[in-house]
Amino acid sequence: MIITEWSGRFLWLGIIGVLCLPISVGAAEIRVQSDTLFRGFERDTATQKNAAVIPFYEYLQIDVDTPDEPGLAFHLYGWGRADLADNDYYTDATEGELLYGYLEYSREMARFNAKLGRQQVFEGVANEAVDGLRLSSDLGPYFSGSIYGGLPVALDSDNGTSGDSIYGGRLAHHLAGWYDLGISYKKIRNDGTNADEITGFDLAAYLPYNVNLSGSSSYNLESDGWGEHSYELHFPLGPVALRPYFQEFQYEDYFTTGANSASPFRFLADTGERLRVGGADLTLQAGDSWVLVAKAKQYDYQVLDDSSQYAAAQATWSSGAGQSQIGGEFGYMNGNAAQNDYYLLRLFSYWDQLPEGCPVDFVSSDAIIVDYDQAIYGEERSLFISLAAGKKFLDDTLELKLSGDYSKDPYFDEDLRGMLTASYRFGRVL
Amino acid sequence: MHKNIWIGMGLSLLLLGLGACAALNSGLNLPTHHYTAEDLGEAPKQCTNCHEARGDTLAYGSFNHTATWLQTHRQRAMQHETVCSMCHQTSFCNDCHATQVELKPSLKNQPETYRQMPHRGDYLSRHRIDGQIDPTSCFRCHGNPKASQTCVRCHG
Repeated sequence: MIITEWSGRFLWLGIIGVLCLPISVGAAEIRVQSDTLFRGFERDTATQKNAAVIPFYEYLQIDVDTPDEPGLAFHLYGWGRADLADNDYYTDATEGELLYGYLEYSREMARFNAKLGRQQVFEGVANEAVDGLRLSSDLGPYFSGSIYGGLPVALDSDNGTSGDSIYGGRLAHHLAGWYDLGISYKKIRNDGTNADEITGFDLAAYLPYNVNLSGSSSYNLESDGWGEHSYELHFPLGPVALRPYFQEFQYEDYFTTGANSASPFRFLADTGERLRVGGADLTLQAGDSWVLVAKAKQYDYQVLDDSSQYAAAQATWSSGAGQSQIGGEFGYMNGNAAQNDYYLLRLFSYWDQLPEGCPVDFVSSDAIIVDYDQAIYGEERSLFISLAAGKKFLDDTLELKLSGDYSKDPYFDEDLRGMLTASYRFGRVL
Repeated sequence: MHKNIWIGMGLSLLLLGLGACAALNSGLNLPTHHYTAEDLGEAPKQCTNCHEARGDTLAYGSFNHTATWLQTHRQRAMQHETVCSMCHQTSFCNDCHATQVELKPSLKNQPETYRQMPHRGDYLSRHRIDGQIDPTSCFRCHGNPKASQTCVRCHG
């Protein structure tokens, strides 16, 4: 597990908080969810052909709180992986990440909330993991606000955490039934230099006839330009809903070039490209069971002086009970170059209304065929098939799921993979 | 150095302001958690099955998990993360939105074929096309040094 010095400190703070919980609150509960995944497949590695790869993943989530009551709480979630075969497929035989681990305090009045520790911040222009503190609250009936600050987790492997910082916040104004308007700001520093500085605003306006307008714009303060504008309308017309949308991206300002960016994207900032995306989705709810969707999307590249189009239709039938569904999707990408054209067909099913006496609780299937206009590594088609089944045990606290995948595509002549998932939920009053 | 002190003082003032304002009444007046399937007797599916599309406190209709929700939920989450957290814990979002995950979401949840999951099937081949058509959508989840670990193997 990769746990930095700082996240380790926050983890200790959280553990201390948990130890305090039974004293500070009455009926605190602890809930543990464990998802253990065993996978198996073969790969060519630097030293072996058809080497067995048998990774097992553990996703562990721990929550300590008083259900339905504000107050103190502790939340932790992370994953780890070890390759049981250890055949040099992975760079590191073991890997992992603490995704969050924080102590939370909330109050009912004004929805005040404080989080201390590692956490994912979704806040206007921010979608960042932070080792630090976040505070949020309603500010009277018409405003709400939040601020956060700490260390950026994404940069903790880049020359350590010295000189790193992240801070920002969002101030929102809302008039129930009319609009929500927010302004937000985020700044990230790495090793004492600016890595990212973005501000932006977001809007949701509730117009007459149940028409909604929503969207956001972000401004890159480092490169001094608008990086993104994304806006959409939602028209409900009886059983039909129409969603036209428009997006514009200025690559120079959208793809940041500082330490918070990554190699595949950095060079895109230098292309000076401006991408405009326009399109619409049409959704039809036909009766209680059928949902039909039509999608159309147009991409225009200003510098490349070219365009691409994507169109798709999908249909889903639901039984109305459980999650039982069957469905399909057909899509066509007409890329700016022939090498970017493809047809896609997906058919899927999930059935959890099985007759009594059936040895499993659900069965599911998935098939995807992609036909490429120009061959990729000599292959013009991808075929992917997956079959799965699952059953619950021990009063539904343990669920076992088994799935098998087959793929024949440009990267694999024939690839067979298997996965066994064991999901276990445990909870008790402290 | 002086700039950092000013920023620190500014943030401290904001903290104090937040603390003071937290004593005021809420505008949205939403509960911390939504009723669960056990409370309701069935799993809640669409908000407007029980709420008005234009409620007194929230436009519930815009939170309906429609067939295109995967593409449209971003704007709602950006503005109303607290509404998401009434039903979903952050771990639910972390399958896609996390600093570092190794398994793509559709692979981790392969048996749940009814869920709208990005990158189903042979996305290794398809990503070279989708990435050229619109790299901005890749950047949202793979844009920082840790999240791009899955890209670095081939893209350097």
